[in-house]
Amino acid sequence: MSDTKSSVGPDYQHESQKPTATVSTPVEGVGSLIVLPQTPQLIALLSIIRNKDTNRGDFIFYANRIIRLLVEEGLNHLPTVEHTVTTPVGRTYDGLAFQGKICGVSIMRAGEAMEQGLRECCRSVRIGKILIQRDEETAQPKLFYDKLPDDIANRWVLLLDPMLATGGSAIMAVDVLKSRGVPEERILFLNVLASPQGVRNFASKYPKVRIVTAFVDEGLNEKK
Amino acid sequence: MSPTSTGTSSDASSLVNGVNNIKLSDRSKTDADILSEKAHYAPPWADVSIIGIAGSSGSGKSTLSQAIVNKLNLPWVVILSIDSFYKNLTPEQSKAAFLNEYDFDSPDALDFDALVERLRDLKAGKRAEIPVYSFEKHARLDRTTSIYSPHVLILEGIFALYDPRVLELLDMKSQVLRDQRDRGRDLEGIIKQWFKFVKPNFEKRKVADIIVPRGVENHVAMAMVTQFIQQKLLEKSKHHRAALTRLEIGAHSEPMSKKVNVVKQSPQIRVMNTIVQNIDTSSEDFIFYFDRLTALLIEQALNQVPFVPATITTPQGCTYAGLRAKGEVSAVLVLRGGAALETGLHRVIPDCKTGRILIQSNIRTGEPELHYLSLPPDIDKHEAVLLLDAQMSSGGSALMAVRVLLDHGVRQDRIVLVTFTAGKMGLHRLTKAFPEISVVVANVVPDLEERWVEKRYFRC
Repeated sequence: MSDTKSSVGPDYQHESQKPTATVSTPVEGVGSLIVLPQTPQLIALLSIIRNKDTNRGDFIFYANRIIRLLVEEGLNHLPTVEHTVTTPVGRTYDGLAFQGKICGVSIMRAGEAMEQGLRECCRSVRIGKILIQRDEETAQPKLFYDKLPDDIANRWVLLLDPMLATGGSAIMAVDVLKSRGVPEERILFLNVLASPQGVRNFASKYPKVRIVTAFVDEGLNEKK
Repeated sequence: MSPTSTGTSSDASSLVNGVNNIKLSDRSKTDADILSEKAHYAPPWADVSIIGIAGSSGSGKSTLSQAIVNKLNLPWVVILSIDSFYKNLTPEQSKAAFLNEYDFDSPDALDFDALVERLRDLKAGKRAEIPVYSFEKHARLDRTTSIYSPHVLILEGIFALYDPRVLELLDMKSQVLRDQRDRGRDLEGIIKQWFKFVKPNFEKRKVADIIVPRGVENHVAMAMVTQFIQQKLLEKSKHHRAALTRLEIGAHSEPMSKKVNVVKQSPQIRVMNTIVQNIDTSSEDFIFYFDRLTALLIEQALNQVPFVPATITTPQGCTYAGLRAKGEVSAVLVLRGGAALETGLHRVIPDCKTGRILIQSNIRTGEPELHYLSLPPDIDKHEAVLLLDAQMSSGGSALMAVRVLLDHGVRQDRIVLVTFTAGKMGLHRLTKAFPEISVVVANVVPDLEERWVEKRYFRC
């Protein structure tokens, strides 16, 4: 397991003031990968959810905080139009408005854990589901069930799965979405932890689907 | 706090720019002098005026003090009774006290050392813990009452004008004479009689600025004292506003402090900002998006707090060199705007200890005034204190709030001010006076913007 240790902290701090920690592993040549800024706060959140001694309540709470950050970052990649408004004190604000509609699709059952975080950011968002399980005979992922919004072809899709390990089920989920008319570039795949191999596998199959993750970890590959 | 006051470790403001050692005796002003002058923030409670009101028991000192406070009707005029400083009694003395044989009317019964110490603290702008004395138990109680930030303090008691060290700290001294209510005698007669039978320890009349016969019924004396206090309050307000103005120097020429973090205006943030700032947004949407933005502000603020390495083991048995927060992070809301950030705060830190400060701007003068204060008792031990306000315009209330935290032992570099909007001038003033604090702000806006966010959020 190779560690990418780095000092983390705000810019104004001197390097010697910043604590060091393992940060996300860089994955060369994958342009579609978006990793959340490796702030000390994010590393601390990851340290809590990855700790085997963390209790369930804390795990859910802190995972949710990361998921909200993932959703907020994911939304950064939606198209916008200029939108100038007047504030209550008469000042004008040259702002932006989102263009287009979104929906969530969770890969069951782990992806469902990310739905709350999505709902906290996007009220009354439509959420579709896809159930993919490993086929006992072929050892390949197999689609068992899906229920998606009827107009999904006209929406941006936030695909939810907290772990990107091999990329097998995520690839199958995108297959399903594409078969319903969702173009690759309108899919944002959100996950908390990813392995470099999973990122590479997924990106080589679907280079236009953006992967938004909190952390890419070498160690994730070793044991499932 | 005046620049000449004795600095303590918690008094970071006097160390601004490291030029606090320049003495006033230096005739020609150096650049450093000017720098130190402009970077200094003196709250209106710096150098509190203390008025001593003495008189024998039953002379009406308390009534007079109370009448003065009522007449002024201001929260920053505070009465301190010298009775709070009765010494703890020895077992023998206590026994005597219960038999009514202990002389409480002797100056020996009072702990003047403690009184002087507390008065000096208050003069220095610090919080002072005042002992609580129980006459039922004839003992000091475990708890204390704290006095903080009075602009004027009325020290009332038989021996208020007794100890020379106390006298030195007083700005006005008045002696109340007992009204014998002998109708046949004129005022002069009462005074003469009083001087004739005066107990030796009442000879302090020599030091009184005014002598008040007939206590509260003496309207002339009442007017004199209240006028004196009003004059003092006016001076303090003037000095305070001048201190705020001095902090404006360089606002347009100097670059923003590196410790001011303006949230990166990513498309996502701008979309939320647009909804929040749009006058046509429904209240429901405003509150929803404001809470969401606030949660992100708090997340960013938490990057300013100290972390330490923490190696953890994952359920798969791998080790991971992570981090954990070094210590407790608490928050202080600057009311009422800061309360609009509370939902966002609790989304990120559900069990965050939360103190409150109410600072209101005086409608006539625009001067910020401290009305209410409630802080976690262990706030000086927290690794970081998030100071939350919805908006900061001229920075007056933020300066005051930071000063309050410093006076309660919070280190300057542990304070993170979090606000939705801030004016450039306000940011400049604040970081000039307190260069070690960090700021997280969502929008930098023109100065002197009306406080519309809290109005929108609380819908009134």
